[in-house]
Amino acid sequence: MNAARDVVVIGGGVIGCSVAYYCARAGLGVTLIDQPKRGRATSASAGGLWPLGESVGLGCGVIFHKALAGRGQLPEGVHGPGQLPKAFLDFALQSNAMFPRLRDELLQTAGIDIELERTSLLFTMYDDGDVAFAKPLLEHCPCGQNRIDWLTPDELAKAEPAVTREVRGALRFNGDDQVNPYRLADAFRAAAQRLGATIITHTAVTGIEMRAGRVVAAQAGADRYPCAMVVNAAGAWAVNVGRMIGIEVPVRPVRGQILGTETLPKVLSACLSTSNCYLAQKQHGEIIIGSTTEEVGFDVGTTPEAMRSLAAGAVRAVPSLANVHLKRVWSGLRPGSPDELPILGPVDEIAGYFNACGHFRTGIVTSPMTGLMISELAAGQSTSFPLEPFLFSRFAGADPQSAIVHAHGIGDAALAEMRFTVPEMQCEGCANKIGQALQAISGVTGVDAKVELKQVWVRYESSKLQEQTLKDALHRAGFSAIETP
Amino acid sequence: MDIKAKSTSSGSLVIVGAGPAGLGAAIEAARAGLRCTLLDESAHLGGRIYRPPPEAFHVVAAPALGRDFQRGERLRHEFSEVADQVEVLSGASVLGIWNSGNSGRELLWTSGHSSAMLRAERLVLATGAYERPVPFPGWTLPGVMTAGGVQTLIKTMQVKPGRRALVAGTGPLLLVVANQLHHAGVEVVAVLEAGKPSWSPRQVPKVWGEWGLLRDAWTYWCGLRHAGIPLLFNHTIFAAHGEGAVETASYGPVDANDWRPLKERATRVEVDLVVAGFGLVPDTALTQSTGCRHEYVHELGGWIPVRDAFMRTTVPGVFAVGDGAGVAGSLVALEQGRVAGITAAEQTGALNAREADRRRAAPLRRLRSLARARRVLDEISRIRPGLSQLASEETLACRCEEVTFSEIRAALAAGAQDLQAVKLFTRLGMGPCQGRNCAASMAMSISQATGRTLEQVGQINPRPPMKQTTLGLLANTTGLAGSVVADPLDAVGGGPS
Repeated sequence: MNAARDVVVIGGGVIGCSVAYYCARAGLGVTLIDQPKRGRATSASAGGLWPLGESVGLGCGVIFHKALAGRGQLPEGVHGPGQLPKAFLDFALQSNAMFPRLRDELLQTAGIDIELERTSLLFTMYDDGDVAFAKPLLEHCPCGQNRIDWLTPDELAKAEPAVTREVRGALRFNGDDQVNPYRLADAFRAAAQRLGATIITHTAVTGIEMRAGRVVAAQAGADRYPCAMVVNAAGAWAVNVGRMIGIEVPVRPVRGQILGTETLPKVLSACLSTSNCYLAQKQHGEIIIGSTTEEVGFDVGTTPEAMRSLAAGAVRAVPSLANVHLKRVWSGLRPGSPDELPILGPVDEIAGYFNACGHFRTGIVTSPMTGLMISELAAGQSTSFPLEPFLFSRFAGADPQSAIVHAHGIGDAALAEMRFTVPEMQCEGCANKIGQALQAISGVTGVDAKVELKQVWVRYESSKLQEQTLKDALHRAGFSAIETP
Repeated sequence: MDIKAKSTSSGSLVIVGAGPAGLGAAIEAARAGLRCTLLDESAHLGGRIYRPPPEAFHVVAAPALGRDFQRGERLRHEFSEVADQVEVLSGASVLGIWNSGNSGRELLWTSGHSSAMLRAERLVLATGAYERPVPFPGWTLPGVMTAGGVQTLIKTMQVKPGRRALVAGTGPLLLVVANQLHHAGVEVVAVLEAGKPSWSPRQVPKVWGEWGLLRDAWTYWCGLRHAGIPLLFNHTIFAAHGEGAVETASYGPVDANDWRPLKERATRVEVDLVVAGFGLVPDTALTQSTGCRHEYVHELGGWIPVRDAFMRTTVPGVFAVGDGAGVAGSLVALEQGRVAGITAAEQTGALNAREADRRRAAPLRRLRSLARARRVLDEISRIRPGLSQLASEETLACRCEEVTFSEIRAALAAGAQDLQAVKLFTRLGMGPCQGRNCAASMAMSISQATGRTLEQVGQINPRPPMKQTTLGLLANTTGLAGSVVADPLDAVGGGPS
């Protein structure tokens, strides 16, 4: 094996496995090192391949938007869920287009069927608000092609008899399909292994060794893995890997809770997205109902509120689900980036390091293109899709928050960020308590409590509240708050 | 001092489980003047052991029903005297518990008609135990039943579960079930006890009588002999065979030390019922979800919450009592419940320290005496690891998610070292049973395969809902904080068109 062509992939979720697969396919020497963690986003995914739907704010986006509005936290002038830029849509569409061939490749190489299904995605419109949101999408399909159909209530009833008749119609996104997310990750991993990759699980990477500005090895406990390149595919934990080479990768955990039903006969042929939840019936019959969007640090718990609201959303969309058993509820930590776009590719001044993180809620659909692009970078080739919109350097100089503001189109809201040092914060339990205390304040848009640093970042709308309010809330919760510039 | 008058019950006490442990807690707390709420999945008080016979079952001569029945009646009577202090929610399952800040917690429960949140400042968990699963080839075939399941069929439903039966497992319950089957008209081919007790049959009644686990073991022993039913020590079930249901079963001897099956010496018999009773496993799903610390104690059935002498777990305000906190039988459960009830009352100020000490003295003394008797039982019914060799590659390890032993082995080969990792690889334990049907046996199997201790192999984290419920019930959960959201997308267009 030629050390100059050796890659260590850190992280064994769908992104890490895809990177390992494409790198192995390109003939590179691949070692994937993985420390399975509770709350890995791949394990809490519905497996939707919804490039179009996600780009216009369906899926989790519309649900989160509604939740914000319900809490009175929606900035003025915002009428719908945020839309992602054209560059992302193109990236996601191209990645999605890779699936049919990928399914055959993985079946052949790994013998695992990823259960790709042509479902389409239906946005069911309950009321005028939904209709007003949907109309412009139909008139100016963001993808520039005619991939959206408008279904009347009768047409919807014919296509999906189980869906409620209390609808104004539905928008069908053709080409938005689904896979089995677990099988996709398993198949990538098994295929990578078949192509010569080494998979090391239950092992944490503890350091990255640099020499003269170049990556020369990854350290995992007592073991050293010499290599020319490392790929940070650590999902919600990517920030920890970034720090090993002295960079702050702006990725934070964004929890999503989902429900899974018992196995059912075919109820839905399409995936559904509503303003309360989304639903996807998987090949073995269980229906996945998602999802919340919460910033609660690394807490992978579930809440009765989420169970209630997602169950209510599902029953509203498909009334016959009222009598269906809930099998379980669980949660995953999406790797959230400030502008909701993935962070891909090299970092200036650090030769041999590549990011493949920050995929937020679209990691499943964008995993093939991510893996392909990273493999091309590692092999010294040009990438199949322009890298620029996704480079880490886009955050340089700018306050990463400004990117969020831009993405949501809420520039007028004047977001501010405060950092506090909280010496008493000992565990995730404290972090949750702090998160809850601060989130309860109107105007707070995000809280990030880092136990290991004993620091709390609070994002809030400066027009709505004073810093003192935040401090007082922390004091009431039993913590001291030392302002840390 | 009038204790009742003083009790302004500064905090609410919620007790989950109305078996002997839960009833004991409720009786003592209520006696101290503390109002409490008692939830149980059954429609009746008393738990599985003291469950009354069905109404249609006219009790002509109560003594004939044995000591358990009378103990149950006494306990229900004791409870009836303080019942006005206790809100009983029967037919209620707890789906999850969440800590809700400032030391309280919220329970989500369902009655099958509705679901609601319940706030509990203090919580006594008395959830009992379930039967230990031991997978062997064919264990999921119809016609294979647990000892407890068979008892329910015969006792409360008066159903004859089969024609010809093989009874296998460990512990004195096997004798009871074999007799019940015999009296119900089922031909019992043999009783297979995996262990070989060091005690003589004549000592048994004394030990068990002290325990209260069983009524009159000596009678059962004689019953077996009179009926000509062989009792084979160091033997167990090897496999159940049949197309769609049990038609035959193979059994044979096991190694006397670790109970490893000696498969080359198998015997095959024609039966349509295999009864498996390998003891009990504490149900810790709820104690785990409160976040209290657990430890592995093989003699008490496996993982149990860490407690002090007053039944306090490591989470303030949360008590754990009865078989769910370590399998020790109904008499121990009742006394533990009493101690917890008194201590909870003391914590709220309903009892002062001196009075609480006085009331705790008797149950604590009784617990010490019971602890001496239990050591004998621990020894005879302690499960041994060789049983994990019963399964073949195709045997289902997890029946909910249909995970086979070969898939478990593949996960171990891929580097999984504990239950949680195996779960992530295979979906083991992700089904509706929450691991009740697989966790205990898989832990032993993984421990055998990896050479790691059962402590290291760990537990499967339970996930809500702990019990089956429907989306419709959850959708209408009452008592949740937070208001119902108006549709924000309404803000967009220009009103109704």
